[in-house]
Amino acid sequence: MQKRIILEAVGIRKDYGALQVLKGVDFRVREGELVSIIGPSGSGKSSMLRCCNLLERPTAGQIVFDGIDITREGVNINHVRQNIGMVFQQFNLYPHLTVLGNVTLALRCVKKLSRAEASEIGMAALAQVDMAGKRDAYPNQLSGGQKQRVGIARAVALHPQIILFDEPTSALDPELVSSVLGVMRKLREAGMTMLVVTHEMGFAKEVSDRVIFMDGGVVAANDTPERIFAAQDNERMQSFLSRFLNEK
Amino acid sequence: MDATPSLIHTFFNPDILAKTAPIVLASAGQTVLLGFLIIVCGIGLGILLASLRYYTRRRTVTALIVGYVDVLRALPPLVLLIVVYFALPYVNVSIDATLATFLCLSAILSAFIEECVWSGIAALAQGQMEAARSTGMTWSAAMRHVVLPQALKIALPQITNRCIATIKNTALGSVIGFNEVLGSAQAASSDFANPTPLTLSALVYIAMILPFVLFSRYLEHRTGSH
Ligand SMILES: Nc1ncnc2c1ncn2[C@@H]1O[C@H](COP(=O)(O)OP(=O)(O)O)[C@@H](O)[C@H]1O
Ligand SMILES: [Mg+2]
Repeated sequence: MQKRIILEAVGIRKDYGALQVLKGVDFRVREGELVSIIGPSGSGKSSMLRCCNLLERPTAGQIVFDGIDITREGVNINHVRQNIGMVFQQFNLYPHLTVLGNVTLALRCVKKLSRAEASEIGMAALAQVDMAGKRDAYPNQLSGGQKQRVGIARAVALHPQIILFDEPTSALDPELVSSVLGVMRKLREAGMTMLVVTHEMGFAKEVSDRVIFMDGGVVAANDTPERIFAAQDNERMQSFLSRFLNEK
Repeated sequence: MDATPSLIHTFFNPDILAKTAPIVLASAGQTVLLGFLIIVCGIGLGILLASLRYYTRRRTVTALIVGYVDVLRALPPLVLLIVVYFALPYVNVSIDATLATFLCLSAILSAFIEECVWSGIAALAQGQMEAARSTGMTWSAAMRHVVLPQALKIALPQITNRCIATIKNTALGSVIGFNEVLGSAQAASSDFANPTPLTLSALVYIAMILPFVLFSRYLEHRTGSH
């Protein structure tokens, strides 16, 4: 039996002025799945991801989250976003708050938990990313890898139904990448549903349930990693993949 | 040798001090109160305007705010004060000197604060707002807990300077008859042909401004470690 669909993009189009960035994108993410989005830069991966929690409003199409079309008028987007975590390429930690403060801010001012309750949940989230020991540090005292793990804990702390990752390791020094990918693997094993834009082909190949290859604002392929990385049928994808796989 | 006693006799004459202190200090009280109100309102309005300018997508709203800010920053405070106080009665709006001083200086301060806070907001990466919104925070919660604390920290030294300038500008109120400390000290000085009341008013200014400087140093220090 197939798992429940958590997130579905239906005919998503996005224009920035005259520039058509997304030209009708469809895909589904089921409960517990890790779906990777790969593709050349400028192909619209970030735009697509940002449409999923309406940081960008799609020009046309629907985002159906947990059975509800969240692109409809009158949907309380702030409520929906509590259930859709997001992790950013540039971390976007709050520099004026401690690590624990970063992780608990939304718990306190969105979920209205008390300081003690928020701290308890926040510490559990930090423990999941091996950052509990740094609870009182400020972001600028952390390495890039540590910052991104806190970024993940900030999303995890809200117990979302899905987490969106936009190139979570692209801003990291190579030696710090593996610690972040390790945390993401652990999250996946814990059953978290994840939609991950990535250039880490090894990770996408090993960990994904499905891989979406985006090119020029459309989904050029959407399949299991085995079949995607065999890449028999698509020249563009083949040349894209060979560039990445040969680097390693 | 006897320069010192005569200096003190001239600039800090105890007899004259005793006679004029009550007048000077009474107006000092008014000045402090008015200065406090101006600063609270000016900062509050300035932050609101900067936030509105950040929020709005309407060009007309942005243009109105920028126009307000630019005009008020360009006008000499004295000109605004005189215009408001002496011109408004011609259109049948009567306004008393205290209110006129309050309105003008608050408006001018709010214009400067808007500009400081706006540049603080603009210096922040857009990612801060997006990160907060992605966790379900409303726009205003994200402003309050994420954007403004950082923007205000960036703007703090400029804000302090503007507040100090505003306190000093309350002296302009005497031109339209607001009974502020420097004006009443000046009057007392000429009554007694002695500068002691002016010395006293200098002390009053220091007493008003020093806490400000110290408080902002404290804030800078407290938030400076990260
Ligand atoms: N806010 C924006 N305004 C205008 N153009 C944008 C904006 N965001 C992205 N774009 C453009 O959309 C295209 C796709 O960008 P993006 O979604 O970031 O691609 P990717 O993440 O795959 O590299 C690029 O050409 C980019 O310049
Ligand atoms: Mg991108």
